[in-house]
Amino acid sequence: MPELHVSDLVVRFPGLERPALDIPTLQLPAGAHVALTGPSGSGKTTLINILTGLDRAPAGRVIWGDTDIGRLGEGARDRWRAGHVGLVMQEFHLFPGLSALENVLLPQRLATFRLAPGRRAEADRLLARVGIERPGQKVETLSRGQMQRVAVARALVARPPILVADEPTASLDADAGAAVAELLAALAREVGATLIVATHDARLIAGMAQVLRLEAGRLVPAGANPAAPAPTHAAVDPAA
Amino acid sequence: MFRLIAADLVRHRWGALAIALLIALATALGVVVTLEERALRLGSARAAAAFDLVIGAPGSETQLVLSAVFLQPAPLTLLPGSVLAALATDPRVAYAAPVGFGDFSDDRPVIGTTQPLVDGLGGVTEGHSFRRLGDAIMGAAVPRALGDSFHPMHGLAEARGGVHSAITYRIVGRLAPTGTAWDRAILVPIEAVWRTHAPGTHGAEDHGSEGHGSEDHEDANHAAEGHAQAEAEPHDAPDPSEPGPAAGTPARTIAEAHRQREQSDAAGFDAPINPEALTAPDAPGVPAIVVKPRTIADAYRLRQAYRTDHTLAVFPGEVLTRLYGTLGDARQILAFVTLNAQLLVAAAVLLVVLIHVMGRRRQIGALRAFGAPRAVVCAVVWLEAVLVIGAGLAGGFALGFGVARLLARQISMQTGVVLPVGFAAEDGGAFLLLFAIGGLAALLPAVLAYRQSPAAALRA
Repeated sequence: MPELHVSDLVVRFPGLERPALDIPTLQLPAGAHVALTGPSGSGKTTLINILTGLDRAPAGRVIWGDTDIGRLGEGARDRWRAGHVGLVMQEFHLFPGLSALENVLLPQRLATFRLAPGRRAEADRLLARVGIERPGQKVETLSRGQMQRVAVARALVARPPILVADEPTASLDADAGAAVAELLAALAREVGATLIVATHDARLIAGMAQVLRLEAGRLVPAGANPAAPAPTHAAVDPAA
Repeated sequence: MFRLIAADLVRHRWGALAIALLIALATALGVVVTLEERALRLGSARAAAAFDLVIGAPGSETQLVLSAVFLQPAPLTLLPGSVLAALATDPRVAYAAPVGFGDFSDDRPVIGTTQPLVDGLGGVTEGHSFRRLGDAIMGAAVPRALGDSFHPMHGLAEARGGVHSAITYRIVGRLAPTGTAWDRAILVPIEAVWRTHAPGTHGAEDHGSEGHGSEDHEDANHAAEGHAQAEAEPHDAPDPSEPGPAAGTPARTIAEAHRQREQSDAAGFDAPINPEALTAPDAPGVPAIVVKPRTIADAYRLRQAYRTDHTLAVFPGEVLTRLYGTLGDARQILAFVTLNAQLLVAAAVLLVVLIHVMGRRRQIGALRAFGAPRAVVCAVVWLEAVLVIGAGLAGGFALGFGVARLLARQISMQTGVVLPVGFAAEDGGAFLLLFAIGGLAALLPAVLAYRQSPAAALRA
């Protein structure tokens, strides 16, 4: 499992005086469960995009294990992400016309053409684990809560060492949100993945061992989460 | 990947279908123009294959070919009988057969001719050929039975022609299919046609005494009314060097001809065919003569010999080539219009595809975010576009073929000329070229998808 080292990360957007993101240093140990909080526009999604390689860090270093993803090209970042990161987003981005099972396996099929042995069984297992009883059901016929659970299964089917969720419960009702929050934490623990969740959801935050708070693009110390199930070792530069 | 493409196409089936249909219609337009023009060339060339050289009186070469080969009724001046007599004994000629038209039966042309042309057209497949003057041979597409009888009519019914009620032909044979206008025709002995219009005599000495200048006009009028062209010419000693409607020839009117016919009451139609009548010094004139030269050199010599002030010899193939030239020009104009229509459709399709891809930015971004390589995402977009374009092109070729076949059948029913509609190797090349252009055009949305940042796409 890779640990995360971020240093001197600065992201500026044209027309803005202050950087959208300015993180002198951030370290997360492998297997950490971290909630990323902060008001809207504080830079949560920008940070998530850079940590997952969706965007390239214009300045600074973002090192997962021994890979500085800021130095990877677009294609290499795609390949790294496919092998290391499971993503869950506020919008589920499931593909209508395909079944729950096909959606779970779609990124794998597109990345490798031929499924790795056991991937199909793992998809079935994960779908059962997240409570989808009919893997062959077309996703457009599922409820929103079920859709997000399929998205969670999709994020985990390749057993990635890093699981990143961006507002995974924001578009769900309270019960469905609670169920997805529990699943995310439990499944990340099961596979030993580092879990980073950008969220406003208090219940989801309560399930995380560590809370990182972003304000105006800067990390402010939030301390260990008293309600956390297990301690983690996030280190934030107090000067940030 | 293919499952995703299939699901995507099914989800957007109506849009995809509309685009494919648009492409199909634009393609079909071009295909119809190409196929129909080619079919017209081939069909008319085949129809003229049995007619090496056609000789008529001076006038329009095109009209002579249209009348003699394609049996289009037209006012043609008659050739004197002596021309046919001279050709019949010419050593350069394998056979020379008259084509006497103007009579009809149920809108089907009744053509007076001789045995050599029957053989030249492929011979008789059912029954037998001419034995008596009253024998008729029907073309392959004439819906009548052997043994049926009919009265010929002057001209078409809608042209108010009169019926030769006293003349009765009996169908004794059926011509082999030729794929030409002759399939719709009924062939009768030329002597019978002469007798129909000049009963009891081969000359016009029984009729009028108008000057030959007005006879020209009279002949033309007869033909204009669809009247028999094999009107008797008054020359006692025809000479090929002199025109048919030469000096001192009287003319008949339709009314006179009818009256005389009634009086003679179809005299002698049971008589056997007399080939000598064709070369008789007082043989009546004919509007056209089909000549089969013995050699190619003979063909050119004969054409030269009969291109005089009084006769006109043409190679139908040559006349058709000139017509094709005109047809080709028309095709180029049509092709230009078609190309512009196709370019408009291509631009519209490209616009729709681009809008579609922009609308799918988030989906494409999500695919990339979840780990799909961008080359694969690019391939998905390209393949989808190519499938729709390919379906449109294939549908367009099929639709164009179908429409061209329908048109050809319609033309065949009207003219008897079979138009062979079919694809040639060059059409395969055109299809591949269009497909390649479509494939290149589809690269544009695919490249857009390729260059799109997944994070930016997800933010969209």
